[in-house]
Amino acid sequence: MDAYFYIILVVGLLSTIICVTAGLLKKAPNDTTILSVAAVELSLLVYLVGSIVRVASGERIAGEPWEFWGYMATALLLPIGAVYWAILERTRWSNFVLAAVGVTAVVMAARMNQIWY
Amino acid sequence: MEEAENVSAKSSQDGTGTPEVSSRMTGQADAAPASTDTRNTGPGRLLIAVYAVFAISATARAGYQILTKFSEAPLAYLLSAFAAVVYVVATVSLARPGRTAFKVSVVAVLVELVGVLVVGALSVFDSVNFPHETVWSLFGRGYGFIPLLLPILGLIWLYRRRPAARKA
Repeated sequence: MDAYFYIILVVGLLSTIICVTAGLLKKAPNDTTILSVAAVELSLLVYLVGSIVRVASGERIAGEPWEFWGYMATALLLPIGAVYWAILERTRWSNFVLAAVGVTAVVMAARMNQIWY
Repeated sequence: MEEAENVSAKSSQDGTGTPEVSSRMTGQADAAPASTDTRNTGPGRLLIAVYAVFAISATARAGYQILTKFSEAPLAYLLSAFAAVVYVVATVSLARPGRTAFKVSVVAVLVELVGVLVVGALSVFDSVNFPHETVWSLFGRGYGFIPLLLPILGLIWLYRRRPAARKA
């Protein structure tokens, strides 16, 4: 597991905790929860840029490269899709939808790390 | 009375009392069960979101398995593909309003429940013939047992949001 994974681990879990708490407090998605999901997206983008740099500088992905990039593309789309789905209906339940993004990103980042090394 | 309480609790949770909810509140309390014909609201949105994640991951995984190593375990990977189709159908039908979508959802979620139970049991008791991973292997342990939980929650949600009995 590399630094990228740990960044996503911390940001993802924080985002999930924030969103679950907001959902339990019966709040609709607000700036805090949406920005926490945006932070997950940002940490994934850092991983994306870092990975492009590493590949460009000659590092090789141990597993299937296209599997890695497939995970990366899907992970990057998840926060966007979840925010879209959440703001279409602004109820407390949408915060639980947003909460799912963080843990899912962590799981996918772990898998991406496995593929890379 | 209990129904009315549930409904008012729900509308306060939802924040916005939708027309459907308010008509239910004023309408027959003990007649036909909750007469909304959509399941993509409230907790349903979370359910659909999780189903969507499983639809994507199961499809990607099955596609990957079939394209790269189908000959290793055709049965397991066909099962993976089947699971992926079930998740896609469940996601789409849960998101759509109407009676037909409801029926499709019930069938898809039931198939999913049977699938995870049968494949889960086979992978435990006959691990020689089921060594290859699918979403449903070991009751979905590789996915935090969510594949086992999901159809149960799905059936509960579908039951609570079943369409009203057709007026004769």
